[in-house]
This record gives sequence, C-alpha cells and structure tokens, in this order.
Amino acid sequence: MAQVIEAEHLVKRYGDFEAVHGIDFSVSEGACFGLLGPNGAGKSTTIRMICCLAEVSSGRLTVLGHEAHPGNLTIKRQLGVVSQEDYLDPSLTVRENVELHGRFYGMGYREAKSRAQELLVFLQLEEKGSEQVRSLSGGMRRRAVIARALMGRPRLLILDEPTTGLDPQARILVWRKIRELKQEGVTILLTTHYMDEAQRLADDLVVIDHGTILERGTPGDLINRVVGTECLEIAECDPGYGQSLVDSIQLLQVVSDWQGDSLMLFSSDMDPVIARLQEEKLLPTQYYRRRASLEDVFLRLTGRDLRE
Amino acid sequence: MTANQRWSHGALMVFRRNFLAWVKYYKSSILLNFGEPLTNLLALGFGLGAYVATMAGVPFVDFIGPGLLAVTAMNAVTFDMTFEAYDRLNENGIYQAMITAPLTVPQIVAGEYLWEAFRSLLYGSVFLFVLLLLGLVHSWWALLVPLPLVVTGIMFSGPALLVAARARNHEQLFYYFTLVITPMFMFSGVFFPIARLPLLVRDIIILTPLFHVVNVVRALVLGHLYGGLLWDVAWIIGYVALFSWLPIRTLKRRLTG
Repeated sequence: MAQVIEAEHLVKRYGDFEAVHGIDFSVSEGACFGLLGPNGAGKSTTIRMICCLAEVSSGRLTVLGHEAHPGNLTIKRQLGVVSQEDYLDPSLTVRENVELHGRFYGMGYREAKSRAQELLVFLQLEEKGSEQVRSLSGGMRRRAVIARALMGRPRLLILDEPTTGLDPQARILVWRKIRELKQEGVTILLTTHYMDEAQRLADDLVVIDHGTILERGTPGDLINRVVGTECLEIAECDPGYGQSLVDSIQLLQVVSDWQGDSLMLFSSDMDPVIARLQEEKLLPTQYYRRRASLEDVFLRLTGRDLRE
Repeated sequence: MTANQRWSHGALMVFRRNFLAWVKYYKSSILLNFGEPLTNLLALGFGLGAYVATMAGVPFVDFIGPGLLAVTAMNAVTFDMTFEAYDRLNENGIYQAMITAPLTVPQIVAGEYLWEAFRSLLYGSVFLFVLLLLGLVHSWWALLVPLPLVVTGIMFSGPALLVAARARNHEQLFYYFTLVITPMFMFSGVFFPIARLPLLVRDIIILTPLFHVVNVVRALVLGHLYGGLLWDVAWIIGYVALFSWLPIRTLKRRLTG
C-alpha cells in the first residue's frame, strides 16, 4: 500500500537543542496512525514538520509523495489540521469560520457554503452555525475545528490531541466521527494523551520520548510484547511486601512495574502466577485482575516521572 | 480541481476575513476612529483658530483640516495593524490558522495591506466629507484625495505590522505610538508649517512619511497645487516600496520557525 508519510532519520534542531533525533516511521494510506509520547517528547515538532510549518533539519520527510518544507502548498492543500489550540476566529460565527477556511483552500463562495453546511450537519453543529465562537462549549469548539479541518477534503487529517479537555459524551461523539472518516478512506495521524483513545482508534502507532522512537506496532501487538495481555494490580502496596511478591515469581514470565504506590504484575499467562502466589501465601486479599492496556505500555516505556 | 489557486485569491480571502469581522462592529469603529480627529479639528481649529487667525496664509482651521485628515488615515491603519495584528498573531491564532491552511506569509501580508488601504480610504473619506460639510474643502482637486489615502494606508501598514510581529506584549506596542506616531503627529506639518524650525529638525521631518502625505492632501483640499508635490509623491512611493517588505521575514520566523 502507498505510504502517505515517510520519515527517514528525521531530525529537528533548534539551535543546540535537538527536539527530534533521527526518527523513522511511515504511515500507510487509509490508516489511523498514533504518535504517542509525554509532553516534550517531540510529537508537536514532528507534526509541525509534517504540516510544512517547520523546516526539516536533516533526514528525509515525504508527505503525500512530496518533500515537506515550509511553503510546500501542494502538501498543505491536501492536509486538514486539527491543532492543539483551537485557533478559531473569535470575531466570526461558527459558519463563517468554517466557510472562510474553505476559501483559504481556494474554494469559491458557493462551494464553500455548501461544503460548510454539509460539515456542520456531519458534526452536529448546524444549530450553532450563526453563533459567535466564544459562546461555544469546549466540545462544540473541537467539533467546529474538525469541521474546519475537513473543508479542503483532506487526504491526510492531522489530529493533534483532538479530545483534550472534552467531557466523555463529547469524546464519544468525536471518536465516532473519526471512525466515519476512516471508513471514507481518510488517512489520519493522531496524537493524544489518552491511551484508551489511541487503543480505540489507532491501527498502528509509535511511542516517542526525548526525540526518539521507543516502540512501534499495533496497540495489541505492543501490549503483548511490552507487558503481556493481563495485569494484576495491587493498590497501596507496601514496597517491601511488593518486593517479596516479585521475588517469589521471578522464574515466571512476569513484568512488574510500579505505578505510584500500586504494584502492577503483567503476564500473558496469569493463572500460574496467581497459583504460585497462593502457594507462597503471598496473594493479597484485595487485588484487581484486568486486561493490560496501552496505558500500561506507555507508562512502562516512558517512566512515571512528571514532565512539566 | 476547481479550487482557485491564484495568488491573489489567498490575499483577497485575508481581506475578506477582516471585512467579516469588521462589519460586526463598524458603527463603533467609525465613531472611534473619527471622534478624536474631529475633536482636534473643532477644539484647535475653531477654538485656537479664534486667536491664531491664519497659518501660512490660510485660515487656521483650513490649514489643519487636511492635516488631520492625513492623521486620521495614519491612525486608523496604525491602531489596527499594531493591536489587532498583535492579537491575530499572539492571542487568537488567526495567522496560525491561515498559515496552516494553504496561505503563505506574503499572501497574508498583502491581504492585510489591502485591508488597511480600505480602512484608510474609508475613514479618510468620511473625514473629507465632514470637512466638506464644515465648508473647509476649497477645490475640486479634493476628489483625488482617495488616491493618496489608499497609498498611505499601505505605507503605514508595513512598519506597524513589523512592530506587531516583534512586540512581546501590548505595552511594547505603545512605544511605537509614543516614540514614532505621536511625534510625527505633532511635528509633521499638521498644525504649523515647518519652515521656521531649525534646519536639522526640518531635515528629520522631511524624512517622516506623514509629512509628505500632509503636503499632498492639503494641496488637494485647498487647491494649492505646485511642482514640489511631485517630490512628496516620490517620497511616498519610495516609502511604500521600502516598508512593504519589512514584516515578511519576522512573520515567517514567527509562523514557520
């Protein structure tokens, strides 16, 4: 399948600071590709280069078959961007914001008008069309930004934290719309801090930190490979007791990880682990057995230190 | 693809954005851009004018009227292109949204200049109409005033947009008014001819763009045309050519750094 984004040894430097250290990845057509990482990992810088808003310092970056660099309008015309900040025009109505954006893409008056109407309906914003942007709730603003990003009928849609700050209902609506777009064949690049979101939406993803790629794969594949399918979670676990637990099962295939004061034991074969703990009389009275998630992978890979 | 990819289309859409925003508050905007020069005209022209009967051979109010017209145009452009452009860049991300869509910095800048030319034309023309009502327009040449207004709008946009792009906060924008715009307003021949000022001061004033606009507008409104005006026109065109490029580099760095 054709590659929509191809990055080879992609580097971005700001003066002496190297924000992205030679990363390689590719996004195939029609996929939803997740770019995950903590704050300051290099995600936004990578996205800025893909959007032709920042110069590539070295390496190669092709987007939709063209070399990405600031001012590459051939790429920009085929991109739709939902940026982290809304950047909606507070002086204009919702409809004007969306229509005008289409005109920035070169649409004529009538075409922009009918496309905007279509998208306001699609994103359930039709009734809010003539309202000023500042009267909208957070969820409506995000939907308006998505409508705006779709005006130019993009082949590649960049979603930079599309649901940050939204309530659960609004997130579910946005997810549904993203899935519908995927079904229409739009390629999507997604960044998010919500691992459940990435797990639901991404076909393929990379986890980056400090400007390098730590892992890549499908969500299920990463969970299996990095932690294992199941998790035994022991909350408020005493560190000494936790250590004895870990020691007792060290011969089994278990990955252990502390998340705060909770001990996580990961394995793809949990029954023998529980049996062993019972034998050793170490199984706590309260524990929580669940499927391992992408969040576990993320914390395991990027550590637990606060970034900001 | 049916999309209009002409360069001018992008610039026109930047103009359109400003127009759509402006029609929502145009009444208060006209009043604001208008109240101050009108107050100056009435207070100074008729108040001070009662004591200072003539200036350079014409009644004082006739002398300052066209000067204040030029100032109205300068201020209408400068306020918009400093405070509003600062917000478009730093507060509400309007330029960021434009640059993310397929617009380029030169298109954004050209659209802004076009818009400021319109503002200068509009607010200057309204002021010209008031001068007419007050009986202060003395020549059919005044019909040509819109021409220098359009050019003036573009001329004052470049430096103001540069200031907006470089400023780190609103306070820094005031420096531009205190250090550049207000001294120009006071000394560029709006209220008195510069002939009796010391030579060095005169040389500095001749370098200011407002001075030449005042000369041209005054000549058209009073009908006192003379060959030296061609020099003023040349200065103005020169400044347009020189200033128009000013903000492009800084804006490029700010938006695609």
